[in-house]
Amino acid sequence: MNYFPDEVIEHVFDFVTSHKDRHSISLVCKSWFKIERYSRQNVFIGNCYAINPERLLRRFPCFKSLTLKGKPHFADFNLVPHGWGGFVQPWIEALARSRVGLEELRLKRMVVTDESLELLSRSFVNFKSLVLVSCEGFSTDGLASIASNCRHLQDLDLQENEIDDHRGQWLSCFPETYTSLVTLNFACLEGETNLVALERLVARSPNLRSLKLNRAVPLDALARLMACAPQIVDLGVGSYEDEQDSESCLKLQAAIRKCTSLRSLSGFLEAAPHCLSAFHPVCHNLTSLNLSYAAEIHGSHLIKLIEHCKKLQRIGDKGLEVVASTCKELQELRVFPTDLQGGGNTAVTEDGLVAISAGCPKLHSILYFCQQMTNAALITVAKNCPNFIRFRLCILEPHKPDHVTSQPLDEGFGAIVQACKNLKRLSVSGLLTDQVFLYIGMYATELEMLSIAFAGDTDKGMLYVLNGCKKMRKLEIRDSPFGDAALLADVNKYETMRSLWMSSCEVTLGGCKRLARKAPWLNVEIINENDNNRMEENGYEGRQKVDKLYLYRTVVGTRVDAPPFVWIL
Amino acid sequence: MEKGGLGLEITELRLGLPGTEKMMKKRGFTEMIMTSSGSNSDQCESGVVSSGGDVEKVNESPVAKSQVVGWPPVCSYRRKNSCKEVSTTKVGLGYVKVSMDGVPYLRKMDLGSSQGYDDLAFALDKLFSFHGIGVALKDGDNCEYVTIYEDKDGDWMLAGDVPWGMFIESCKRLRIMKRSDATGFGLQPRGADE
Repeated sequence: MNYFPDEVIEHVFDFVTSHKDRHSISLVCKSWFKIERYSRQNVFIGNCYAINPERLLRRFPCFKSLTLKGKPHFADFNLVPHGWGGFVQPWIEALARSRVGLEELRLKRMVVTDESLELLSRSFVNFKSLVLVSCEGFSTDGLASIASNCRHLQDLDLQENEIDDHRGQWLSCFPETYTSLVTLNFACLEGETNLVALERLVARSPNLRSLKLNRAVPLDALARLMACAPQIVDLGVGSYEDEQDSESCLKLQAAIRKCTSLRSLSGFLEAAPHCLSAFHPVCHNLTSLNLSYAAEIHGSHLIKLIEHCKKLQRIGDKGLEVVASTCKELQELRVFPTDLQGGGNTAVTEDGLVAISAGCPKLHSILYFCQQMTNAALITVAKNCPNFIRFRLCILEPHKPDHVTSQPLDEGFGAIVQACKNLKRLSVSGLLTDQVFLYIGMYATELEMLSIAFAGDTDKGMLYVLNGCKKMRKLEIRDSPFGDAALLADVNKYETMRSLWMSSCEVTLGGCKRLARKAPWLNVEIINENDNNRMEENGYEGRQKVDKLYLYRTVVGTRVDAPPFVWIL
Repeated sequence: MEKGGLGLEITELRLGLPGTEKMMKKRGFTEMIMTSSGSNSDQCESGVVSSGGDVEKVNESPVAKSQVVGWPPVCSYRRKNSCKEVSTTKVGLGYVKVSMDGVPYLRKMDLGSSQGYDDLAFALDKLFSFHGIGVALKDGDNCEYVTIYEDKDGDWMLAGDVPWGMFIESCKRLRIMKRSDATGFGLQPRGADE
């Protein structure tokens, strides 16, 4: 390769797109490092505090796409207080000051403000794609800036964000000359939508492939929208109540029949179940179905819908046996609890999981909430589906044992990690002893992310994992009896990981301080909502248990934007 | 974590020195349900609150069961959306009187125990041991009976028009009426063109 000019090598590198592979390339020699640096298009930063914008720009001056993640995963479950951090503003400011030709920005669990969005919209002429997942801090005014100023925008994808809906006219801020829309997802907006503006926008967007509507878009409007966009591939339906207006229903059915490219269906946020049949003609083409927000669709209607969906690959729903017998191509499944107080949802047990594993041989990712589980079921699932990449099982009641034998579920999960050699992500639940972690450490060689809650007996449990799982990147633990001995056993391990979260465990302030001293390249954050100073004032200082610990490797030292309740050691 | 004197502290799973407070907002179960109906996403998000509770007791009613912050691990966005659904069903809870023409006594049924019109149809069939009611609810024309309900305003409405959530919020009582009694009132079969 050294006999080729740089341009040729660069051209070869263009075919290498995964971050891991590009990283490997950069380590081969100085020449390759340099070429790779200048040709890198996509940068992924899994923890926005592991590095800063200045260093990013020094290393990769020519990138076009940036992915940033902010808060730790357990922020999704309200374990991280408001104001913890993850602000995108400094990043956008730094990028705006530089000459980088940013085209795509993907943010997850970050705080985004209207000011940030305004600055973003004005600073990058070729900006094409904005994807915000689980972000907060902005309003529809920010969206209005994006619509007004980003002439070449293709994707505006808002997934599960907290957006302050000012019920303004952001949709009408897209200029009349603007025709390049490909993806529009505003399902998470609460308020009324300017339907006229939306229809006109869709009508002048011949490249529109993905459209996900919010609650406020009713049936007759949907019919008109689909008539304008028969080329649609991915549809999220909003409100769907009014079946009485038969003319609208007929128009919708006619429009749906023309959508022969439709492959993915979601939404039905407010749905009268009878209307689902309008979609039956296109079901046989669907590869992805997400009904997890369709609270009003039950039983027979769901089953009828799924029975039509023979090609399904991705699904989130409640009708499992039907899924097992119909959807042979199924690859991903998510089953959410209907009743979060744990009272209902008696229909989802280990039987459903076993049925799915037997019926869907291509299944590789599952998220499954249920009331009860047995070791026998898990062992069967492991035998049926050795291809799992992601296996997340949540038994609703903490510490619940095998409901038949009253044993811990160690053997069941042990079977899963032993059989699934490619397992990258695992969430465990139910009654578990240190034994399950011994299995995980021994067999889960590819495991990158592990979520533990209400499990284990002693520090040995955590040590098995830290010593065994060489590829571990994110470890998150809550309400488990792991303490300082486990935390401090191998400090250098944390350099190979992105982050560690421990809440309501046995770790003490003294232990954390010792860790911070031993590993200056770690940020060791203690999150203490009530009173940060109390910990030092009373005499139990060293032995005081730490409620929330979040540590992560970083090359840029202590962050400067931490709020008062975060103490960085 | 207080438990209101149930004396279960010994069995409680607690991590932290005695006397350390758990740092989370504490609100009672009923308070959470009352405030979660409708728009305030903030309150609903932090809704599943710790009230302690013995996690090992399987037989406890859902209300007394352990409710811990961030458990089950459903993300707050999704929790908020399913909270909205929970609140609408809970508001409509309660038994309503059901009368059927030709039957000399009334029955009572719990609307909250049904998930939708289908379930309701099935439940009504069971209540009166009559297999026609469900059919009536679904596609009215060929059936001997119609199902109507009295709403909050005191008007009698044909069941099945409005979304389920709206229906159980406003339904005060149900009546299964002979279709022959209703003719002359211009009742169109559902789905037909005007």
